[in-house]
Amino acid sequence: MKGTELVLKALIDNGVKFIFGYTGGAIMPIFDEMEKQKALSFIMSRHEQGAVFMAQGISRASLSTSNPRTGVCMATSGPGAMNLVTGIADANMDSVPVLAITGQVPTGVIATDAFQESDVVGVMMPLTKQTYMPLTVDEIETTIHEAMYVASTGRGGPVVVDIPKDVQLQETQSVCEFDPRSCEPQLPGFFYSPSVDREALKLAVDMINRSERPIILSGHGVITSNSGQKLQAFAEKAHIPVAFTLHGLSALPVDHPVSLGMVGMHGTVEANRALMNADLIISLGMRFDDRVTGNLNDFARGAKVIHVEIDPSEIDKNVKTSVFLNADVAQVLNLLDRDPALVSKPRSRWFAQVDAYRLEIADQIKKEIDVGIGKEGQLLVKTIVSRLSDLTGGKDLIVGDVGQHQMILARYYNFQTVNSWFTSGGAGTMGCSLPMAIGVKLARPDERVWSVSGDGGFQMNIQELGTIMEHEIDVKIILMNNGYLGMVRQWQTLFYDGRYAGTPMKNPDYSAIAGAYGIPYLKVSSLEQVDDAIQTAADHKGPFMLEFLCDPSEIILPMVPAGGGYKEMIVSVD
Amino acid sequence: MTTTAPMKRRAILAFMLDRPGVLNKIAMLIRRKMYNVETLTVCKTNQPGTSRMTITLREDSDEKMLQVIKQIEKSTEVISARELDMNESFWREVAIVKFEADEDRMESLKRAYRFEILDRRDHELYIVQVAGTSQFIDDFLQDAGTDRIVEVARSGFTAMEK
Repeated sequence: MKGTELVLKALIDNGVKFIFGYTGGAIMPIFDEMEKQKALSFIMSRHEQGAVFMAQGISRASLSTSNPRTGVCMATSGPGAMNLVTGIADANMDSVPVLAITGQVPTGVIATDAFQESDVVGVMMPLTKQTYMPLTVDEIETTIHEAMYVASTGRGGPVVVDIPKDVQLQETQSVCEFDPRSCEPQLPGFFYSPSVDREALKLAVDMINRSERPIILSGHGVITSNSGQKLQAFAEKAHIPVAFTLHGLSALPVDHPVSLGMVGMHGTVEANRALMNADLIISLGMRFDDRVTGNLNDFARGAKVIHVEIDPSEIDKNVKTSVFLNADVAQVLNLLDRDPALVSKPRSRWFAQVDAYRLEIADQIKKEIDVGIGKEGQLLVKTIVSRLSDLTGGKDLIVGDVGQHQMILARYYNFQTVNSWFTSGGAGTMGCSLPMAIGVKLARPDERVWSVSGDGGFQMNIQELGTIMEHEIDVKIILMNNGYLGMVRQWQTLFYDGRYAGTPMKNPDYSAIAGAYGIPYLKVSSLEQVDDAIQTAADHKGPFMLEFLCDPSEIILPMVPAGGGYKEMIVSVD
Repeated sequence: MTTTAPMKRRAILAFMLDRPGVLNKIAMLIRRKMYNVETLTVCKTNQPGTSRMTITLREDSDEKMLQVIKQIEKSTEVISARELDMNESFWREVAIVKFEADEDRMESLKRAYRFEILDRRDHELYIVQVAGTSQFIDDFLQDAGTDRIVEVARSGFTAMEK
């Protein structure tokens, strides 16, 4: 068999259905082979960055299904591979398994600065879990199997396989008999043996029993280990409020009585105040990102920390822990829930305190949402998101871009479906939403998918409207257009005396753009139109685009200033 | 004038798969995390396909040390990584020294140190090989005379636990 056939065979053996990508000189042979078969569907992105985010969409959305899959993208050498870099770095920050296969110039000309040559392995190495360059055809299959295993085992992450064109074209007799369920690659150092340390668990249970004011910080790991229900059962039994990191959202219904909503820089008052005043933090599958901790010197002073995390390098990295459990969150929750030593303490004083936090700015927020119009007379994103949440019952899949609207979605969409919230968190890559939503829709075709972006991010991957058009991918697109880069503008309002440097922008006629791509479109400028417009988009079969004219003066509060601690949290601005 | 005490010298011993790019990966990690590395040596082991790497660095904080080790261990190819107990291991390096010495100095060096003469030119220009502890090599260089040394090449450490 030829190298190109082996690439596709290995992908099919691993259950891959979709390949996102963009062809070019050094990857042409694989694309040529793809044309001859039917098991794999190819989706052409309009830019390689779009392809990585589509692959991410497959991985992120399928995590919670019975068939979790690693998204695959392909690009040619040089500029093709380099255009993948941002999306790869993004997957690395958010622990999303992705396999990127890139074509490379033939081995004979590597390192001669050949046409479209770039050092893909060198560039990708610090941004991935692993990078490979098979130098003979016999390595291709085993490399791809190992790559898929590494990407999806333990803490997920991106893996790059860079295949020189001549290696793709070589022939071999040896074909791998591979069974992904029984065959593990020989990687003695890649230990994935997270078993729960019973002594540490005992200590943790003891701490939980003694705690008066505990809080659970539920991170991405709760979603990736598909243990939202276990978490809910544990929190209900032990009476512990749960706050979510950005990627922890949608592990359990966000309006559940134990839920405090999102924690962090733009977290809810109740989550942030509870975290500030807790005597025990039980952090599950999260890494104490600076957007969660604020200033580390002020973080959780006086609180003990139980840290459950699959990646041992996260222990004590940012926050000193009292008990560390290096294990899968699901395993730990299973044991905790069944632990006879766990006391079901009512903690009514703590919950009364938490309820008081809930009320702190609740009226102010409700009033703002009801008014729905900002200082400059245009729509508020909070109101639109609240309406979207009500009209969809909080059940739809939401793919947020990056910025102000993202934080507003995280705060005001009432997530009810497990793993229904997708966005770029660690890297904060503007433009992720439109292509990621394509992957999400393909991974979960029976659910409604909304891609929500600001006018800044939307234009960063606007070309993927072409992909949506070509494959009639049923993504509902919401554009929150306020003519500014909203989040930076908010910082400028609060911390830069209102000098709006580099944030205002002149926008194109989006109705003409939607029209050019054959996507039905509605522009919404008044409060009365909001519900009807959302309903029209929701009911339409196929892609639909809504443009909301939003108020540039809108601010998302509370806000913990960058580098500040929770005690500096801003809850209102006059 | 303020002087800062030199940080503690410590060492990490790591075993890893002998695959392309591993050294690059560790070196990149060291740069990215801004660790204060002094020496780094790699060699093959008697186990086919496995290499050993000895890294010495200046670091006082135990926590930072643990972080370095965990980050190294996180690499797919790394089989194990741990800190070497300085008191429970042998530490050696090799230096090749080019220096000028007259007969008298050479005689006195020979009495005090064990070394091998690799080359001698113009009667007074020597290239010698000195192997031993870091202190031993430092002492040799001191006695050879810093003003007479033309060039020194030191291998960096290699170490083994007792």
